[in-house]
Amino acid sequence: MKKISLLVLSLIPLMANASNDVTQLEGSFKVGPAIILIFILSLFILVGILFRAKDTTDYYAAGRGISRVGSGMAIASNWMSAASFLGMAALMYGTGYHGLSYVVGWTGGYVLLLILMAGQIRRYGKYTAADFIGDRYYSKTLRTIGAVIAIIISIAYAVGQFGGIGLMFKWVMGIEYNLAVIIGGSVVLAYTLISGMLGVTKNMQIQYVIIISSFMIPLFLLTYKFDYFWLVPQIGYGSAVQDIVEGIQISEKSGLMNSLGHHFAIVPSPEYAMPWAPSSGQTFFQWMAIAFSLMIGTAGLPHVIQRFYVVPKARDARWSVVWGLFFICLLYWSAPVYSALGTILSANPEVGKLSPDAIVVYTAQLGNINPLIVGLLAAGGVSAAFSTTSGLLVAGSSAFAHDLYVKVINPMARPKTQMRVARLGTLLMAIIITVIAMVDLALIAQLVAIAFSMAGCTIFPLFLLGIWWSGSNRAGAKAGLIVGGIVTLIALTYLVGARAGWTLPYNDFFTYYLGAWYFAWIGAPLAIATNIIVSKLTGETPLEIRKFLIDKVHS
Amino acid sequence: MYLRYCKNLLFTLIPHPVETEDYKISFFKPTTQQALKNRNLIIKLFLAWAVAIFGFQVLLRVIEKPVPEEALITFSSAWEKIEAGEATYSDFQAAAQSMIQVMGKITIQPDHYAALKDGTGWALSKVYPEDELSELQQDVLYLSELRERITSLRDDEYLQTKELIISKAAPALDIGEGTLLAQLLAIGLDDNLQVLQEENRMMIPGIMDLYLIHNRSFLTDTIFLGFPFHYFYTAVLLLVFFIGLCWIYCYRTDKLHAKLNFLEQID
Repeated sequence: MKKISLLVLSLIPLMANASNDVTQLEGSFKVGPAIILIFILSLFILVGILFRAKDTTDYYAAGRGISRVGSGMAIASNWMSAASFLGMAALMYGTGYHGLSYVVGWTGGYVLLLILMAGQIRRYGKYTAADFIGDRYYSKTLRTIGAVIAIIISIAYAVGQFGGIGLMFKWVMGIEYNLAVIIGGSVVLAYTLISGMLGVTKNMQIQYVIIISSFMIPLFLLTYKFDYFWLVPQIGYGSAVQDIVEGIQISEKSGLMNSLGHHFAIVPSPEYAMPWAPSSGQTFFQWMAIAFSLMIGTAGLPHVIQRFYVVPKARDARWSVVWGLFFICLLYWSAPVYSALGTILSANPEVGKLSPDAIVVYTAQLGNINPLIVGLLAAGGVSAAFSTTSGLLVAGSSAFAHDLYVKVINPMARPKTQMRVARLGTLLMAIIITVIAMVDLALIAQLVAIAFSMAGCTIFPLFLLGIWWSGSNRAGAKAGLIVGGIVTLIALTYLVGARAGWTLPYNDFFTYYLGAWYFAWIGAPLAIATNIIVSKLTGETPLEIRKFLIDKVHS
Repeated sequence: MYLRYCKNLLFTLIPHPVETEDYKISFFKPTTQQALKNRNLIIKLFLAWAVAIFGFQVLLRVIEKPVPEEALITFSSAWEKIEAGEATYSDFQAAAQSMIQVMGKITIQPDHYAALKDGTGWALSKVYPEDELSELQQDVLYLSELRERITSLRDDEYLQTKELIISKAAPALDIGEGTLLAQLLAIGLDDNLQVLQEENRMMIPGIMDLYLIHNRSFLTDTIFLGFPFHYFYTAVLLLVFFIGLCWIYCYRTDKLHAKLNFLEQID
């Protein structure tokens, strides 16, 4: 104990090394933040070991023993990814009011999820999204496709998370981005393999507390320090937004400086808050399309839907959404505060171009907050990425082991074999995600938005019609899936084309109207319409499915 | 009265429960009282949700008008005279001040910043004593060199050189030395003050329009709890509304289930 105390005491001077004497915010290894990060990651693994999965039911659905508030926290933690923690402020920092379309899209979707799906999904009683699709549409092919889509979506979503983990590890350790992605990815993989979803769910509750605390504490300090209403920073930053619009002259807040020695001042910048500012390069159409796509994507994401299986009954599933949304909103009300203060603190061109994805941490750093608290913030960002990635890896490996291996390849597989296959699936996914994350494709939130549009075009229509219209049959589902898949493919082709510098036919038209972050605005309605038309033209859904829907899901 | 009429009309148009034995489920054709009530609740909440999100943004779009910042009006007037060769000292000063203001914007793109830097330096050269210009140019170059060498932006020599440039250039552009514009000017001067590249000359008016025209309306200009109202509505109030909608749905569903003795199975 004495030795530990001495070690901590000897590290204090290193930890307290503030960033006053630098010309840039990136730097070498940061001892204090690193210790906090290691402590939190160790805590996750410890909790994972203590609550590890004992069998497949535990692994997939946490034994269905989680309370409503606990499940709400798990929903929030599962949801509050690097895209929420880091990416949300990044979008508003770069594009102002346009970034709020992501805030609205990622919260408004829960209303749809609740009123249209949560209770019904729980009553349907399946473990995975592919399970539901396969059973509801009485098709092994659709189950397989559903599983593959769930895996692809999980991978697309997790790429952004690995990017966030890489950025934070890079910032803390002062190492190269690719190496940071590999180290961070290995730790999250080890944790998920050890624990499974039972550990994940327990862990998610702990993670939520860490995430939200680490996000909030610097906000109180920053708003207090820069003379805004600090008791409720989520309201107090309104004056900061207005200050950005009108500008702050040096004399107005004299004495207030950022950590690089610049005055707390900014020229009038109405483009930060005014809708669809021409300088942001974003339009009204894009705002609406993003909000809509993210909302329906929310209601179609496998790892989000899967969370409703871990509550005892449908009523709990419904109330857990309310709690989950409340816990999520605590973070979403706060993210714009970082963006607003970060905008003022980095307004001097001498600060240079900052990576928007790390603006949350940079804001705290520029605000001259104690490095240990900045470290806690970075650890919170990693924690947010970890919690979501764990859920995604579980959802993806469930699809791999349960929906592909057991239901299609080897129905006689023993639970032990099934667990082994699930773990193999997790490993494969982690490797693929790591490789893609190393190619810096887009902002974290934009990468995640791709997964949402994919889910909106494919899984959402199948769930919506599968639950609410018994007339939707196998042929309709397949046709809808094909249309949704084609729209997805076109959008992704043009995204890759743009990154690779190709000029594809009608390039401007498709990159604008089928933008990779919002192609579900048209893909989802087309998939739904196709499903309905083809279902009407083909045979009826089998009686046992219709009976099941009435007896189990709607009665 | 009118609202009640609309509501009645809406629910007349929507199909009502049909007792059936063919095990068909459709959201629009509920077969039980519970399903009917649930459907109506979902429709009400869905409409409220859609209007709150998309209705407000459409309203914002409909009533907005492009409004230029004061700096653009000043710039346009001065630039017109500069282009016509009729500019006075104060026109060059006004154009430079406006360009510096845009250079201070956080969203400015690097190529736009470079063009405005070129324009500002050139405008300064038009109002600065010609025989002292090369000395100022030397100071600007020295500052650039220092910037590469220093390990801290608080470096004494670096700060002194910045102050020196401000003391020389700011008065020439009629900018107060202790102001934000003076700070931006010190780091925003080009290595070659006397030449404005033709490409940049062509670009500058478009750049100024891009950064200085904004979509505004009474919803953006009304201040509520310190926020522009539309910002508060979208970033704060809408999220409260979402939680409220979810709470209402759960509460009403629980009440409905209790009333109809609807028991959910536990498995």
